[in-house]
Amino acid sequence: MSIEVRNLVKTFDNKTILDNISFKVDDGKILSIVGFSGSGKSTVLKLISGLIEKDSGDIITTGGDVAMVFQYSALFDSLNVFDNISFALQERKDLRGKYTRKELEKIVAEKLELVGLSGIENKYPSELSGGMQKRVSFARAIVTEPKIILYDEPTAGLDPISSTLIEDYIVRLKNETHAASIVVTHQMSTIRRTADSVLMLYNGHAVFEGSPDELCREETPYTKQFVEAALDGPMKMN
Amino acid sequence: MRIYYKATYTYKIFRAFCKSLNNLITTLGTIVMFGIEFFKGLRYKPTTFPELMSQCYRFGVTSLPITLSIVGMTSVIVAMQVAGEMVKQGAGNYVGMLVAILMVREEAVIMAGFAIISMIGSSLASEIATMKVTEQIDAIRVLKVNPIHYLFTPRVLAGTLMMPIVVIVSSLVGIVGGAIAANLVSGLTFKAYFDSVWFGINMHDLQVCISKSFAFGFVISLICCSCGMEARDGAKGVGLATTKAVVWSFVAIVIVDLIFAAACFY
Repeated sequence: MSIEVRNLVKTFDNKTILDNISFKVDDGKILSIVGFSGSGKSTVLKLISGLIEKDSGDIITTGGDVAMVFQYSALFDSLNVFDNISFALQERKDLRGKYTRKELEKIVAEKLELVGLSGIENKYPSELSGGMQKRVSFARAIVTEPKIILYDEPTAGLDPISSTLIEDYIVRLKNETHAASIVVTHQMSTIRRTADSVLMLYNGHAVFEGSPDELCREETPYTKQFVEAALDGPMKMN
Repeated sequence: MRIYYKATYTYKIFRAFCKSLNNLITTLGTIVMFGIEFFKGLRYKPTTFPELMSQCYRFGVTSLPITLSIVGMTSVIVAMQVAGEMVKQGAGNYVGMLVAILMVREEAVIMAGFAIISMIGSSLASEIATMKVTEQIDAIRVLKVNPIHYLFTPRVLAGTLMMPIVVIVSSLVGIVGGAIAANLVSGLTFKAYFDSVWFGINMHDLQVCISKSFAFGFVISLICCSCGMEARDGAKGVGLATTKAVVWSFVAIVIVDLIFAAACFY
């Protein structure tokens, strides 16, 4: 077990966003969290990464770093690719000064090779396409060898081919790092190609937990509505 | 019905007042907290020399043309308005002193403050606010780097260190501008003007001017960074944060100025 979430509760302005959510993700596995916009998917990631505080419940990890890939990459636009990827190694209190410039260059080159973008160290984020920015943010996320990787809608805003490429890299990073991964997504293709298990959220509740195959079998009204992208069903859009 | 309307109206005013007071206290508290964190950052996060230099260049060099223009023109306007009249009244020997005291004690520092807020403060606030709304600050946090230490330390340090330099240069330009204007308007000689300047300015004025500049630089950069850090809700949030930073900085430097005036001259 690499990460376990038990009875997680989070409210904003008296509105319950997450209500008793529980799940587990093992090392080297990918959990996909799906659901409508506003169902609390990204909140789960922000709670696990420590960006916001939980109201109650437990988030238990087996140690190591938690990395996060943001929806729109969140690369530092004033820094080039090299400085973006090596940011944590250069600026983190416990890592600052630990690596020489040559070692940093080697690490960055390795990570860029892993995401198929060798030789772009001196480029700035504005010079890269959306897909390339996303892959650079993958490289930045894995630079500290994290045990948990969180992806917030990694294929949002990308064309289908770039999405497929990103999905392949998610699986590749899982295999390379053996990290427990959580992918928040809306897209069935991402679920099919990457996920080992799926958790569906609606109005802060978990309404389905199972494998991608079980989701696609549409055995419950929730999964049926989600897979068919139907307006009619138990889940109502606000 | 009329009574109900009046009660509702009064309640609305009261509620708006309470909301504004709440915002004021929250923002003040946030700025103080960020200020404390900045001082911690000085200890924990050694700012690299190139990073500090880059921010110093931003504060000191990029702001200089507009600051010098504003301060220079202000002193010219003052000299133009008073020099002719004072020479007529036989007080021409005091024109330099008047302009110099005005520049060193008040004009240069407050005008430079306004120029720095408009040019650099607004850009600081919008830069950090954009980083906030595009999740770059969240990314810094997830990478276990303290964003206050990383972003505030070089900016606030540069603001604090560069402001006195900008003010000293501005004061000199203002005094020289006043000399030229006085000479052109009333025929006052440069010698008479600068003799009057040396007579009028004392070390106490310079000490207060430099101390006030340090305080202005610190307050402006801290407020602008803090307002940027509190931004939310996309492009609109960036605009609001920038406006808030500019308004708060203007108000803050006037209050700091008042405190210095009360403490040092009365």
